[in-house]
Amino acid sequence: MKLLRMFLVQTQMHFRWYFLRDGEMMFWTLAMPVFFLVLFSFAFANGPSSSASSFLVPGIIGAQVLSSGFWGVGVMLATFREKHLLRRVYLTPIPPWVFFASLVAYRMVLLAVQASILVAVGAFVFHVRITGNPLAIFAILALGTATFVSLGTIIGALARTTESANNIASILTVPLAFVSDAYIPIDRFPHAVSAALRLLPSTQFIDTFRGVSVGGEALTHYAVWMLALVTWTVAGTLISARTFRWV
Amino acid sequence: MDAIVVERLVKRYGNVEAVAGVSFTVPRGTIFGLLGRNGAGKTTTLECCIGLSKLTSGSIRVLGLDPGDKAQLARLRPRIGVQLQATSLPDKAAVGELLELYAAYYDIAPRTEEMIRRVGLEGKADRQIAQMSGGEQQRLALALALQHDPEVLFLDEPTAGMDAFGRRILWAEVEALRAAGKTIVLTTHYIEEAERLCDRICVVQRGKIVASDTPANLVTQYGGAARVCISAEGFAPDGALGSLGTWTRTNGEWLLVTPGEPGLALAEVVTQANAMQARITSLDMHRPELEDAFIAITGEKIGESG
Repeated sequence: MKLLRMFLVQTQMHFRWYFLRDGEMMFWTLAMPVFFLVLFSFAFANGPSSSASSFLVPGIIGAQVLSSGFWGVGVMLATFREKHLLRRVYLTPIPPWVFFASLVAYRMVLLAVQASILVAVGAFVFHVRITGNPLAIFAILALGTATFVSLGTIIGALARTTESANNIASILTVPLAFVSDAYIPIDRFPHAVSAALRLLPSTQFIDTFRGVSVGGEALTHYAVWMLALVTWTVAGTLISARTFRWV
Repeated sequence: MDAIVVERLVKRYGNVEAVAGVSFTVPRGTIFGLLGRNGAGKTTTLECCIGLSKLTSGSIRVLGLDPGDKAQLARLRPRIGVQLQATSLPDKAAVGELLELYAAYYDIAPRTEEMIRRVGLEGKADRQIAQMSGGEQQRLALALALQHDPEVLFLDEPTAGMDAFGRRILWAEVEALRAAGKTIVLTTHYIEEAERLCDRICVVQRGKIVASDTPANLVTQYGGAARVCISAEGFAPDGALGSLGTWTRTNGEWLLVTPGEPGLALAEVVTQANAMQARITSLDMHRPELEDAFIAITGEKIGESG
């Protein structure tokens, strides 16, 4: 009960302090993805075409899951440590995992809002249909979030300063979004290249998410990718737990 | 029973010994001060007591618990309150929100109105950290340390960066907490603050405790003798005046170094000077202070003193 209260109040405060009171953050997380959707939809097809947009809606949502883990959790933790916020929290009775869980929860709420906007714009403007089983969609989103939060936390653990965490996150997020089937179909690359790119957790996650959400396929169809994502998550969690310093 | 027992505490960073064998005990219900220059090892000592810093060797018990042990630290946390030196609160957080959040951390009902009043932040519940002065942030940090009514309070340079108003509020709060039987450990480089608040002071220099006593005893033991200084035509320290202490004459000015009470000596000097019909042109008295003791103990000035 008292842990639940800590978790709920902390999550609510994260949301207020780092989202509602940060106009730049609102722009990057809400407006930019929609801008990408519209821009690429027109660039890839000559006019509104549901096939390009059907590719892009899950791709952009997937890219947001990536940046939630790398920026929203990884860089945030490095910033918290550099500004001595973690030291102060460490002195209070809140267990570190509750503080961490509330940061993840805040980003998941934000992701739900981002996904809803993208799905709504996709449906109304580009006639994108989400035909998949809602439970399967939720399951793969949860697994993807776990994967990229655990990998992102490694950034938060290893980066000494906010600046270096920022650099690592940019180096990872931006290229990954372009080579992981998020914006550009990797089938257009030579076969050897696309096969290699499918070894990336980002490609595995985005392909599975796209297949399940707009492709209407069963999760079992992607059992190998799911298993790979679980492995990434376990590895990421182990490395973060070993290297993360609260103070 | 002692609230805090520190024995032979050593903290090494690489080859640098920040704390080099510090021992002290703090009885319950007393105010204990670590006084020293910046970099003397005060903050590191305090950080070891609250589990922020791992000690290299030695032992620490706070309320009978070892802050270096994870499980014991978890039991200790709800019972202590801490105000850190560098304010470490989120820029966009509002005063009332932080009190609400910390109330959730400590599983108590928020006491927002009361705390805001106690630290002089009335009408500022919605003020965000970024819009507050350094002193206001420090007062909020104090409120966050106090809201859960801890048994032991740790204050690291609590008035650094505070204006006179903030300092008065903090001092009054500390004195009220002493009256309520709380134990307080504070670090400071303000002599006046240490002298006014502390029941016992440890003078810390280069990671070691070089003196430890009540402020009054430190002054008596190390502060040196009191002095009375008089310039007067036709004055000579004859007769009864000779027994007050040692007289020396420089540049036509008489200096009395007296082991006794300087006020009484001064009265005697004036009475005798009048009896001699001497014409006094200047008269001065210096009573030893904690600062004199500090200089005598460390061989250094503390720098900027409050």
